[in-house]
Amino acid sequence: MKPPVFDYQDPASVEEALELLARHGAAAKVLAGGQSLMPLLNLRLARPEVVVDINRIDALDYLTEESGWLRVGARVRQRRLEREAEVRRMVPLLTEAVRFVGHPQIRNRGTVCGSLAHADPAAELPAVAVAVGARLVARSRSGVREIPAEEFFTGPLTTALRPDELLAEARFPCTGPDWGWAFLEVSNRHGDYALCAVAAGVRAGDGRIQDARLAYAGAGPVPVRLREAEAALVEHSDLEEGIRAASAEARRVLQPDGDLHASSEFRRHLAAVLTARTVRLAWTRARTRSGGAHA
Amino acid sequence: MKIEGTETLHAPRDRVWALLDDPQALASCTPGMQELRPTGPDEFEAVLSIGIAAVRGTYKGKLRITERTPPERYAVQVEGSSGAGFVRAVGVLELEDQGAQTGVRWSGEVQVGGALTLGSRMIPGIARMLAGQFFQCLDRKLQEGSA
Ligand SMILES: Cc1cc2nc3c(=O)[nH]c(=O)nc-3n(C[C@H](O)[C@H](O)[C@H](O)COP(=O)(O)OP(=O)(O)OC[C@H]3O[C@@H](n4cnc5c(N)ncnc54)[C@H](O)[C@@H]3O)c2cc1C
Repeated sequence: MKPPVFDYQDPASVEEALELLARHGAAAKVLAGGQSLMPLLNLRLARPEVVVDINRIDALDYLTEESGWLRVGARVRQRRLEREAEVRRMVPLLTEAVRFVGHPQIRNRGTVCGSLAHADPAAELPAVAVAVGARLVARSRSGVREIPAEEFFTGPLTTALRPDELLAEARFPCTGPDWGWAFLEVSNRHGDYALCAVAAGVRAGDGRIQDARLAYAGAGPVPVRLREAEAALVEHSDLEEGIRAASAEARRVLQPDGDLHASSEFRRHLAAVLTARTVRLAWTRARTRSGGAHA
Repeated sequence: MKIEGTETLHAPRDRVWALLDDPQALASCTPGMQELRPTGPDEFEAVLSIGIAAVRGTYKGKLRITERTPPERYAVQVEGSSGAGFVRAVGVLELEDQGAQTGVRWSGEVQVGGALTLGSRMIPGIARMLAGQFFQCLDRKLQEGSA
């Protein structure tokens, strides 16, 4: 199918883009990698009057470290996360997770910020953002605000971004030295959206878990952190006992919807199993890292 | 796809019922409802414009109240279509008298067709989000009304 008629704008500066968004509001849509928007346009599920293409804005193409944060501009393709060794050093969970996003062709075009703004509940990068405590930088003509990842995702395909706001940058805190991270998912085919995905991080110290992060995708309307499951990992001095308690907690708390691809019960089962696997992997990595080796 | 949930509305049951029984009040709380025109007893023509991020559509459809048992039970049937596909839904609301407040048990069965089926895994989550907005709006109206 062909998209409906729309007006196409490709500003060369952020200011011009913000001006267009301010003028057209909900009638406008930002076009980044187009990997989600173009299919929606072609199916006529999306009918914006104006498409604001940000691909000409060079000022949004940066991936830099600043005071312990990895800053990812809105034009950075997902592929860059896997290509740059520095990303693995700073935010290893991004490197781990991004290879599950679609296929290389999609990651060559799809942007990091586009995936966050699109807010598919089964997408990988939003779960990473929630797990590590990323901050999303929204810009509009009236100013800049930073939104914590956990407040950014408000529903399926729905975020805290206002229609006149551009997600200009995503900021990911760099990992601490004694942390290990892991990301695993189950999907029907490699490259499909996850039936369930789990992001785990643990900090090792004195032979046990001192701190933990657990976030889930595909297990509810938005990616979620499960603090109760994280606490279970820290409370138990025995790793396997902690893992059992955390998995049970995930199964108890998460309420994924069932659909054609997987029932709710199967998704909860996956959440529990993946909790165990990611935590074990993250733990091994945390111990190697704290021993000085590269995880 | 079946979805269900419970809500608490902060007003006695007879007031909640009165509000639900007023189609225009109902329409004003339904996310995206742009027009609701009566076409017969308990039958309406509706224009609904729903926008979930990039996915936006204007749906024209019919809304029928299929059951009305004051002040306890209320059932509606909605059918709509747009260029992108169709939606069919049945919803049931049950009101429980809890004195100063009212418990609502709701359930819905949603069917989609056309291009919309591509998003079917997200429909329950979206329906629940819209239902949440609907009940929040009702609750606000009830509280304003009592102030
Ligand atoms: C076959 C296929 C398989 C895929 N599999 C996966 C998968 O397994 N996991 C996964 O996570 N994704 C998957 N995707 C989606 C892919 O990751 C998309 O690239 C991503 O979701 C959107 O990024 P984009 O840059 O392409 O955004 P676009 O498609 O350009 O935009 C998507 C939406 O976000 C908005 N938007 C984009 N950038 C901004 C911004 N900076 N500010 C405000 N709004 C913005 C747009 O207006 C639009 O509403 C798949 C896509 C395809 C085609």
